[in-house]
Amino acid sequence: MKARLLVALIGAIIASSAVPAAAVQAAQPFELVSDVKVDKVTMADGKEVHSLVEPAVVVPGDRLVFSTRYRNNGAVKAENIVVTNPIKPGIALASDGSNNLDVSVDGGKTWGKLALLKVADGQGGQRGAQATDVTHVRWVLASVAPGASGTLSFNAIVR
Amino acid sequence: MLGLAPQAASATGVTAGTLIQNTATATYTAGAASGSVTSNTVTVKVDELLDVAVAGLTTTPLAIGAANAVLEYRVTNTGNGPEAFNLTVNPTVAGNNFDAVVQSIVVDSNGNGTYEPGVDTILASGSSTPSIAADGSLKVFVIVSLPAGATDGQSSQVRLTADAVTGTGTPGTAFTGQGDGGGDAVVGASGASANGLDALIASLASVSLSKSATILDPFGGSKAVPGSVVTYTLVATISGSGQVGSLHVTDSYPSGTTYQANTLKLEGASLTDVSDTDEGVATGTGIDVNLGSVAGGTTKTIKFDVKIN
Repeated sequence: MKARLLVALIGAIIASSAVPAAAVQAAQPFELVSDVKVDKVTMADGKEVHSLVEPAVVVPGDRLVFSTRYRNNGAVKAENIVVTNPIKPGIALASDGSNNLDVSVDGGKTWGKLALLKVADGQGGQRGAQATDVTHVRWVLASVAPGASGTLSFNAIVR
Repeated sequence: MLGLAPQAASATGVTAGTLIQNTATATYTAGAASGSVTSNTVTVKVDELLDVAVAGLTTTPLAIGAANAVLEYRVTNTGNGPEAFNLTVNPTVAGNNFDAVVQSIVVDSNGNGTYEPGVDTILASGSSTPSIAADGSLKVFVIVSLPAGATDGQSSQVRLTADAVTGTGTPGTAFTGQGDGGGDAVVGASGASANGLDALIASLASVSLSKSATILDPFGGSKAVPGSVVTYTLVATISGSGQVGSLHVTDSYPSGTTYQANTLKLEGASLTDVSDTDEGVATGTGIDVNLGSVAGGTTKTIKFDVKIN
């Protein structure tokens, strides 16, 4: 309790001394909330029915939908927002729809559309990158007004 | 649990029990300030997928004769967690000319790929293999014999089925809390059951024997009178695609005749009368030629002489 109070005090002191970056850090005006669902496919009347359910049972080959909800809780417009999400080793970016995303196949160093990226082919040359080569996805938002929110999502397949 | 030889991984999937965690980060500017923020972390636990594949390893039908045949299969755990499989062998397959007699099911315990009686472990039908690692495989030998009544050239197939011990069912069936790594076990596309066929072809041989005689009388003719020499010719014809083992041709002398010493011949070559390294023996009562193992499609001709008393 004492420690927390102390942290709050320090935060207040920094804020009052008007160090801009730290002030933003303390206020946390931009919020991210991650979620994951499983895209379960069932057959009804010969048609595929997709439903997003809690990931209670997940096996290789399942499709996961990772979503990140953002919200500007601050009083000023947030600009130049870059939301980055690494693709962990146990999953691969789903190939369908992957061309609409800004992706990296080199750990986040360079970015672009998947169709334009290349990776080493293991034989001294390069080959066109596949969805399974993607290491990160990102979204660039020009601005988010105070109080505005939205959801960013990508589909991944459990390897 | 028996130790199994490592097999080449074929990357079936993320190992059961793996935790996949996801966190997003954002950078931004707000007015003159810039900041970064991290989301909460969401975690997904990968459950065990129950999948299996079985392959019969005989590329051409295996010939089976009087001796047992060893059929080979490979059971591969295509799931993502260690799993044992119940094995059943069914020698009754549609289209069979004969149904083989299953003698035993043996797993390649030491993983050297070769059937070693007394070394590899015998399984009772319907009992389970040792646990097979994800992506691992186990060679299984099924020892079969030919049923009575099978004839040369007949074909047959023998089916080996492997069922996941945790359970089988339609894909998607879940066994709560029974997965490796603490999650559920979920039936995969194979239904957690698979089977494979190996083919057999009966390879047998049969023996027919014919006997003929020519007579040379003391006067240069061919009358059967005292003093005439009778030459007997025995032709053993071995037919079929297999071979016969321990084949002996024996004959006894007709009463009123006497064997003429050192006249026993096999394929035109003389054999000694005494029991020794050659194939033939002639005693006071008859001859015995030991042809041993003879392949189908061959004939063996034996001759000997007796004199009419």
